Amino acid sequence: MAIGRRSFLQGAGALGLLAVMPRTRLLELITASASSGAPGHFLDAHQLDTLRAVTYRFIPGPLDQPGPLNSPPETDPGAREGHCAEAVDILLNAFSFDPPMIHAGGPFSNRAGAGHDDFADFVPLDAHAALGWRIRIEGSKGIPEREFAGPVQGLQAIYVSGLAELDRRSQSAYGAGFAAVSGAQQDAILLEAANNPGDSLNTFVATALAQTLDAMYGPPEYGGNHGLAGWQYTHFEGDVQPRGWTDAEVSQPASGGSILGTAAGRDAIRFFASMRGRPASRERPWLALAGFNRG
Amino acid sequence: MAMAKPSVIIVGSGAGGSVAAWALATAGHPVVVFEKGRNLLPGLGGPGPIGSLFGNDILKESRSFEDQDPVLEPRSLRSQSDAHNGVARSFVGDVNDLPTVVGGGTIHWDAKTPRFWRQDFKGLSLYGPVPGANVADWPLTYDDLAPFYDEVERHLGVQGDVGRMPAHTLAQAPRAHQFVMPPNPPMYAGLLLGAGAARLGYTAYPFPMAVNSTAYGGRPRCNSCGFCSGYGCPINARGGAAVSFLHDAIRAGAELRPRSFVHRIDMASADRAAGVSYLDANGNHRSERADIVILAASAIETARLLLLSANSDHPAGIGNHSGQLGHNLMFHFFTLAGALFNEEIHATRGPSSTMTIDDFVGPARPPEAAAAGLPYVKGGICETGGTLGYGQEIGIYASAFPAGGGGHKQLMRQSALRRHATGISMVGEDMPQIDNRVDLDPQLHDVYGFAIPRITHSAHRFELVASEHYGPMLRAICDASPGIIPGASTYVPVGTLAELSGPGSPLYGLATTAHIMGTARMGDDPASSVADAFGRLHDVSNVFVGDGAVFVSSGGFNPTNTIMALSLRMARSIAGVVAASTAAASLPNTAQPASPSGPAVVAAAATVAALGAAGRRRSRRAREPGDD
Repeated sequence: MAIGRRSFLQGAGALGLLAVMPRTRLLELITASASSGAPGHFLDAHQLDTLRAVTYRFIPGPLDQPGPLNSPPETDPGAREGHCAEAVDILLNAFSFDPPMIHAGGPFSNRAGAGHDDFADFVPLDAHAALGWRIRIEGSKGIPEREFAGPVQGLQAIYVSGLAELDRRSQSAYGAGFAAVSGAQQDAILLEAANNPGDSLNTFVATALAQTLDAMYGPPEYGGNHGLAGWQYTHFEGDVQPRGWTDAEVSQPASGGSILGTAAGRDAIRFFASMRGRPASRERPWLALAGFNRG
Repeated sequence: MAMAKPSVIIVGSGAGGSVAAWALATAGHPVVVFEKGRNLLPGLGGPGPIGSLFGNDILKESRSFEDQDPVLEPRSLRSQSDAHNGVARSFVGDVNDLPTVVGGGTIHWDAKTPRFWRQDFKGLSLYGPVPGANVADWPLTYDDLAPFYDEVERHLGVQGDVGRMPAHTLAQAPRAHQFVMPPNPPMYAGLLLGAGAARLGYTAYPFPMAVNSTAYGGRPRCNSCGFCSGYGCPINARGGAAVSFLHDAIRAGAELRPRSFVHRIDMASADRAAGVSYLDANGNHRSERADIVILAASAIETARLLLLSANSDHPAGIGNHSGQLGHNLMFHFFTLAGALFNEEIHATRGPSSTMTIDDFVGPARPPEAAAAGLPYVKGGICETGGTLGYGQEIGIYASAFPAGGGGHKQLMRQSALRRHATGISMVGEDMPQIDNRVDLDPQLHDVYGFAIPRITHSAHRFELVASEHYGPMLRAICDASPGIIPGASTYVPVGTLAELSGPGSPLYGLATTAHIMGTARMGDDPASSVADAFGRLHDVSNVFVGDGAVFVSSGGFNPTNTIMALSLRMARSIAGVVAASTAAASLPNTAQPASPSGPAVVAAAATVAALGAAGRRRSRRAREPGDD
């Protein structure tokens, strides 16, 4: 759409002015930007609000309309509280930070006994790695150095065009932009795209889902999982180095509850049973993976 | 003697390359190691402890931190029938990518170090041909390799307990020594499955692995953080090519050149290499000269480099007068079984799995094999008692709920697969086939401008029948384990996971593993093999293959320990320390007395086997009451 395209160009201009930002300033910005109406690091205010609405459907929280599969009342934080859209927006402009916010540092955060948060010191990319991530994020943009294997659509373009298309479909079906329609209506748009591999929004939905989940459940240094929102309700201890686990914690039963007869147990058994598939074709076991890419 | 020892170029700093670098640098050879990737281990080769930029970080693991970046260096893939029908490729991207950093695949390996068995080296003699497969004997025996296994395991730092290994294991893979470290604390889920296995008459025992259970080699003890297979070790408690071998090689004088991509072997004459051409870290074209060139870039990249180096004397690629170069590519396809347990069993705590079962290595001759026209089937060793990590759990739930609705969150909140599930994954032996191969993609180039490797692969019915044969047995162990929710078990035969889990699923990594073998098989006959029993190309007197490319069969075992042992044997032949038949004869300055290896090792192994039964009883009582 024209508006989306113009906003994209404005965003790119702002990007140049921001140059490189120190980490402390970044954290302030992440916190500050977790409310609607303000532009992000790459997305403009409307795009970011639209992306927020998408992430809230992927991981609904207490303030969001419940989905049919998370029974109300939802008391655990969701993508809103975890700042997932804000973290995706950071990835889309990762190169405005120095080092780029691609790979957190190591070996330890300060959550399990270490004095310094190494994760916050992102690992610099060398020229080779930077080229790969420039292509992945910005696309090949007709630059010969990036088009050795043909043109590549980058994440930025996937998001800009995908968010615009969401608005277009929402306007067409419900008479309002995506962020303004009901959760059920948003779910319907997303689900249709997700279930149809040929749908022009399919790549966007798959990408946004994967990166929302990364943001919610990854280390908070990447800008998401705000307040460790994602780790608490999933019973995940997070990064445990350098403390690790004691011999007893490894070899003895845990004190956690049993699941037999609970809703969790029933869901788990049902999901587990669904993993029993028919053997893939002998000839092309990987075909279902077309497009699969670890990056 | 004052004469300089032959200089050596090594291409690749992974399992094969680093072991060779260590053996040759410590023997006084000038060594230069080329590595296409960067170094993520600060202090490697320096005077102090080795650092690590890795952490318990699921995002870095999924963002090509240590892996080859498929955006820059894609590979193409097709099936045998695609090839037959003239289809150039049906997929482009990440195809069996391994870490492309200093240390290679061992940077995030599971570090399981079983040895191949006697029968793996003599499959054709012992069990005969398999229709449609290119079965052959190796040009060496288990006993030839045993002393090198011993030395590799000692330097790598391998834990285990000979006393708990079954008699059939020690008969097939005799051991001269106890492991240098005792086993890690056993993971609880592995104890449960071990109990299930025992009820059915099978034996679960501590999986030999290159993980420090005590401080060893200047590196600390493992603290069971659980981010093991697929993750770089934050504390270097896990042994590997870089931390166990390359570190010492550099300190002995070897030079490491990271981000240097070797794209051509330069020839001095038809049967001698002069050195290599490469792109340095700044993209400049450079060359290096040496007396000997060792290729250890992984089975795919080593074959690709030999093919890229074609010239008028070697029009089909260097070392390819047999026509076998690139062929007989083998993977391992895992068969999985899993179960849900009522209580929380936290199978994420520990080095991925601590127990193994090797009762399904085979061969077996079930009716379904005969029905498929197969003389026998074989399975493999089993990783027992692990589960999905956090990142994998997120991915598999997303495959069920690809959009909104709250379903994904609900499953994450319950986190049943991570907290209540465990299972068994069986390494499946993959038959060598002529038509499974690596060649150069006729159209596509990588970021450096060189033809990318194209993989053509289809499973043989051997693997599929074996998986269906052994899968129910693995599931039966789950069903017999204490605490299982009755009926909540399943097995997933080869090929299934890729299909059901859909695009982007982390389970793809379980279904098609990063175990890559073949493409430059060794043999005594230059007409049917690429390299000799010491890895030297039949066609070129000073080029050696020191990685999994030389494998003749894939065995049912994690291959890295065998890659390392073969590389050490190759390096010692170059250094003139092993009676290398023809291997050392035409190399300059390598004529030195050989050391005998065979008979003494066999005798020692027999002693260990005899001691095994008593030791097994003793240690089982002492360590793992739940396992009886």
